Amino acid sequence: MINQRGTADDATPVVMVSGLGKRFGTADAVVDLTFSVPRGTITGFLGPNGAGKTTTLRMLLGLAEPTAGEALVFGRRYRDLDDPARRVGAVLESSDLHPGRTGRDHLRALALAAEISTARVDEVLALVELEPAGRRRVRTYSLGMRQRLGLAAALLGDPELLVLDEPSIGLDPAGVRWLRRFLRSFAQKGRTVLVSSHMLAETAQTVDDVVIINRGHLVAAGPLDQVASPGRTLEDVFLELTGAAS
Amino acid sequence: MRRQLRSELFKQRSTRTMLGLFATMIGLVALAVVLHSLLPIEPLQRHDNQLTILGRGEFLGALFATLLGALSVTTEFRHGTIRPTLLVTPLRGRVIWAKVTTSVLAGAGFGLVAGAVAVAAGLVTLGARGIDLTLDAADYSLLVAGSAVAAALMSAVGVGVGSLVRHQVPAVVGICGWLLFVEGLLAGDLVGLGGVFKFLPGSAASGITGQQPDVLLAPVVALPVLIAYALAVAAAGAWATSQRDVG
Repeated sequence: MINQRGTADDATPVVMVSGLGKRFGTADAVVDLTFSVPRGTITGFLGPNGAGKTTTLRMLLGLAEPTAGEALVFGRRYRDLDDPARRVGAVLESSDLHPGRTGRDHLRALALAAEISTARVDEVLALVELEPAGRRRVRTYSLGMRQRLGLAAALLGDPELLVLDEPSIGLDPAGVRWLRRFLRSFAQKGRTVLVSSHMLAETAQTVDDVVIINRGHLVAAGPLDQVASPGRTLEDVFLELTGAAS
Repeated sequence: MRRQLRSELFKQRSTRTMLGLFATMIGLVALAVVLHSLLPIEPLQRHDNQLTILGRGEFLGALFATLLGALSVTTEFRHGTIRPTLLVTPLRGRVIWAKVTTSVLAGAGFGLVAGAVAVAAGLVTLGARGIDLTLDAADYSLLVAGSAVAAALMSAVGVGVGSLVRHQVPAVVGICGWLLFVEGLLAGDLVGLGGVFKFLPGSAASGITGQQPDVLLAPVVALPVLIAYALAVAAAGAWATSQRDVG
């Protein structure tokens, strides 16, 4: 796969999770989780609610400290990346916005911290089709607009890896299609996407690889066409593996 | 650190929170001084009482500066913007120290204006009642400049408290409760702690402006005491933020 930045770590998986664990008091949220995300793919990170998806992503992004193992991006811990915003873009929750700040100012505050130009702020606003709305305060936005603003923030640094937690929540059908095409073209440029979801039909249309977890444990990982098959949809596999099949 | 400072300064001015706090503070300072000026004439002629009345600027300036420092952190946790903030700057201590720096700058402005408004309001209202002001230029300078310094340092305490508490309502209630109620009670000697209260942050902040010289610390002692509080609480907040997970 072509590495756009021309660095020498082409063989290193973009995301490498090994033996990862997180314990809250006596409850294990994530247990001995190991998987990797190869460059240039879209990987769906699937699991029922409470399976540990968000906790795993937070550890990957340096917001939470693992109690076991490690989660690396580009072979390093997130916090050890030199300029993380230019390598990794992430959206964890669509509501991570100050209601009294305009969408554009939300992006500008982040851009200043990452030394990214205001021209780029307007570029990503246009990219997510929030051009005139960017001047309004976030409290007037719909959920879909908040999702797109979050995505715009993730794209500010023109990153090589996108990490998205449930990005299609709140999007209307046109928005879902827009996101799918966007992620597809993003990956076609040799970039990588890790996207958590529990919308399986939508995921099956978008991703190359899947990682499925249940109660903090890995239950399946691999290319979508190996995990699922024509006679056995991703939904069938998912419900069977997560013990929710009826 | 420079880019984090620019980002934090931009955050301050891109919502109306700061403006709202500032306007409320000015209104309360003017109100406090005017109400105190309505006391009987005899006590108002005393030097120490005049200092205390004009010192309402420092008191409210320090209170609002503490709140603005705390809000700079708790607002980010309340609205979740702390996550994107830390994704851009994973070195959390750097984020907190940038907030300390920008809050200290804003806090100094709050304190300066609060001190000046109190002095101006006092001159007008006491003058209108025909009361001679016994304060000299040194008193006025200390009231206004001391108010700026006290508020600046208290805003650093606020950032530290906000970083330790994280939740907005408990942080705001805690700060108001402490400065308005707990220190007020101790100052009133209700719990008989004698000379201990003057070493507390709110009392040290007042000491910097030269109020109640027979009760509070002298400015030259109060200043290093409050600097120590500001550094210790801000450092505790930065350390705690670097250690704890962000949900």
